[in-house]
Amino acid sequence: MSQKSRMAPKPDPQSASNVAAADAAAAQFSMDPFFHILKLVPFSFLRPPRLRLKLPSFSLPSAMTVFSLILLTYFMVVSGFIYDVIVEPPGIGSTQDPATGAVRPVVFLPGRVNGQYIIEGLSSGFMFVLGGIGIVLLDLALDKNRARSIKVSYSIAGISSIVIAYVMTTLFVRIKIPGYLR
Amino acid sequence: MAAVANMPVSDLLKSFKLKTKQQELLIRVSILCLVYILAFITRLFSVLRYESMIHEFDPYFNYRTTLYLTQNGFYDFWNWFDYESWYPLGRIVGGTLYPGLMVTAALIYRILHFLRFAVHIREVCVLTAPFFASNTTLVAYFFGKEIWDTGAGLVAAILIAVCPGYISRSVAGSYDNEGVAIFALLFTFYLFVKAVNTGSLAWSLASAFGYFYMVSAWGGYVFIINLIPLYVLVLLITGRYSMRLYVAYNCMYVLGMLLAMQIRFVGFQHVQSGEHMAAMGVFFLMQVFYFLDWVKHMLSDTKLFQAFLRITVTCAVTVGTIALGLGMLSGYISPWTGRFYSLLDPTYAKDHIPIIASVSEHQPTAWSSFMFDFHILLFLFPAGLYFCFKRLSDATIFIVMYGLTSMYFAGVMVRLILVATPAVCLISAIAVSATVKNLTVLLRSKNKGVQTGSTKGSGSSKASSKALLDQSQPFQKNGAIALLFGAFYLLSKYATHCTWVTSEAYSSPSIVLAARGAHGSRVIFDDYREAYFWLRQNTPPDAKVMSWWDYGYQITAMGNRTVIVDNNTWNNTHIATVGRAMSSYEDEAIEIMRSLDVDYVLVVFGGVTGYSSDDINKFLWMVRIGGGVFPVIKEPDYLVNGEYRVDKGAAPKMLNCLMYKLCYYRFGEMLTEYGKPPGYDRARGVEIGNKDIKLEHLEEAFTTSNWIVRIYKVKPPNNRW
Repeated sequence: MSQKSRMAPKPDPQSASNVAAADAAAAQFSMDPFFHILKLVPFSFLRPPRLRLKLPSFSLPSAMTVFSLILLTYFMVVSGFIYDVIVEPPGIGSTQDPATGAVRPVVFLPGRVNGQYIIEGLSSGFMFVLGGIGIVLLDLALDKNRARSIKVSYSIAGISSIVIAYVMTTLFVRIKIPGYLR
Repeated sequence: MAAVANMPVSDLLKSFKLKTKQQELLIRVSILCLVYILAFITRLFSVLRYESMIHEFDPYFNYRTTLYLTQNGFYDFWNWFDYESWYPLGRIVGGTLYPGLMVTAALIYRILHFLRFAVHIREVCVLTAPFFASNTTLVAYFFGKEIWDTGAGLVAAILIAVCPGYISRSVAGSYDNEGVAIFALLFTFYLFVKAVNTGSLAWSLASAFGYFYMVSAWGGYVFIINLIPLYVLVLLITGRYSMRLYVAYNCMYVLGMLLAMQIRFVGFQHVQSGEHMAAMGVFFLMQVFYFLDWVKHMLSDTKLFQAFLRITVTCAVTVGTIALGLGMLSGYISPWTGRFYSLLDPTYAKDHIPIIASVSEHQPTAWSSFMFDFHILLFLFPAGLYFCFKRLSDATIFIVMYGLTSMYFAGVMVRLILVATPAVCLISAIAVSATVKNLTVLLRSKNKGVQTGSTKGSGSSKASSKALLDQSQPFQKNGAIALLFGAFYLLSKYATHCTWVTSEAYSSPSIVLAARGAHGSRVIFDDYREAYFWLRQNTPPDAKVMSWWDYGYQITAMGNRTVIVDNNTWNNTHIATVGRAMSSYEDEAIEIMRSLDVDYVLVVFGGVTGYSSDDINKFLWMVRIGGGVFPVIKEPDYLVNGEYRVDKGAAPKMLNCLMYKLCYYRFGEMLTEYGKPPGYDRARGVEIGNKDIKLEHLEEAFTTSNWIVRIYKVKPPNNRW
């Protein structure tokens, strides 16, 4: 029996009348003051139509649905989305080649640790999430109730995801911070 | 003879052979001891490189107050009115600080003196933060054990011992509230989760006292008093209401609130401030839940109960909303303060509160800051969340909520990566522990499979399946071993990264600057301390020094002189007055300085050394803050086409304002770099515009050896004739 539905609906007239129609005896003993007020006015002279409506019942989403939503939010936070909204950096930087005068794109904002262009943030965030998913795939691969071919493909995908994510992330950091690990 | 000699040895060895449980305990205790020591020594880089001194700006105020506390006792400290800062306003120190840190350091000092170790209070202050970091690793172990199992606890302790996100604010010398507060935060959370898991009153009381320690230590306690009600709400929504939760939350909230009111700085905020209303709302909601549960228990009629439920919940929500509305309208419940409101709406500070927006630590976070501070924990965090969702319980729901909320806030403000670090470490530890457990189960299952296959009969199907099993098992075993080595490799890379970051980025004292000389040798600039010591020795004791608010704490602590504004930034108008003085022409500025009784002016200048955090680079913030209160200061006057310049093409107001004159006085004749004209500013990379500067009302008193700090004396007014 539910005891935790915070959304307590005002007993709307249809359901009230349905209850009254279905259980005439119980209607006598209803504690609901709204029901009694509504029974008096306007429903003593108005006749509500017979409808078959149900209150929409909401159920809590499953754990894995929530997890995928959270993964999406994590991707946005860790790729510096809030930084992008507030500081509004360009999507990609540009520098002029001193010799030829051509404009070359610069992907990584140089000079500071706490600064980024939008695209570099998104790609790094994607790498982080990829690494996380790789570890999740590894765990799924060890689940006993699957066919062996699926387990093998999950484990290969998981291992390659982790390796790619780690290598790319280290590469990004090395490009961004020239003196990294020296 | 040899046999007799050998026998006692083997008996000796046999007596040392431990049972498995004891072996495990020995391994765990030794790991924790090593981690404890590691957390302490990894934070000692700056002490070994420079000397045992306090870093940055804020810690100097904390050090000064701790010194006062040890010299004058607790009651004088609690009732201290400091007339040496914010001249002529003064500052009520007792009512405007969080005393937890100072009291803790003073307590450690007294204990050491009781044991006859005559250490100076400065050494205690410098090493307080690493000591509490080591204690945090222990708390992380117990917390991990509570959430998952002992393996996760051990990994959590190891991860948090070296995580750069935490080290950045708890390095030796960084004597700031966060060093103690993170320990208090994690401790309070651990005690609360333990209380929810056990439902025991003792643990709930302990968590209330932990919360009291946190309130006394840091303003970030608002995070606890909002996260815990949010957590309780989530538990209620997911149908995990239980008597344990009721006992834990009620006890912690009521007692914690009463204890928190003992801190004068916090005062009655728990019942008056909008930031604390969530906790009160959830408190009343819990009572409603308990009441409904009791009524359900008494009633036998379900339909009646449903009706009653609807009425009660409607009434409760209505009454709560009306009460909240009345409170906010009448002004009794104050709205969210700017500092915390800017966390929910990050664009707020940029438009409305320039002081908050100007601090570099308050900028939003870019991906590289995350990577710098977390490294592979960023991969392990989503994986750990997955494992937590696989095995949902009251404790894992808590850690998931803590991790998500703190990561969001870490994204809004760089400084808050510190608050997210324990959550990220714990969740990553869950991922590591679960993965390693899966892999080792694979390693061990092979032996069992072979054994069962050999003990059973050799039917044909069994033989073929056994053959199949035998084919895949060595492959799986090798794969598991390879993956374990891979995990070990990643974790060792993490340790290397953390040590490198600690050594290179987070161990600089900020008051002593270091640079690489021409041949790679390290050059030390100790100009700040040189200037403060000069102030201390060569100025009258009641001299008043005007500088930008960054340096206020250091001037009062080391120079021992009265300052006009300091880092507390509690009075925006006073700071704006100083900003206005710095941005005006010398004639207007001298009026303001005379009205404030200023005797000396101190500026920081990086043009000779290339130091980029000097007052010229901060100048626009002085203009903005001054202009926010005095509209006579307009920012476009100092810019040329929206660009901030100090060379020949700079705005005339910029070239003649007080800050420009004080920084570049006599700089026009200075040769700073080979091949460049005199007056070449190395920090901005340009030759300055106005080289011939004459000061009318000020005279130069002292310039440090590398021209970083420059002190000017305000000349007394001319004799009238």
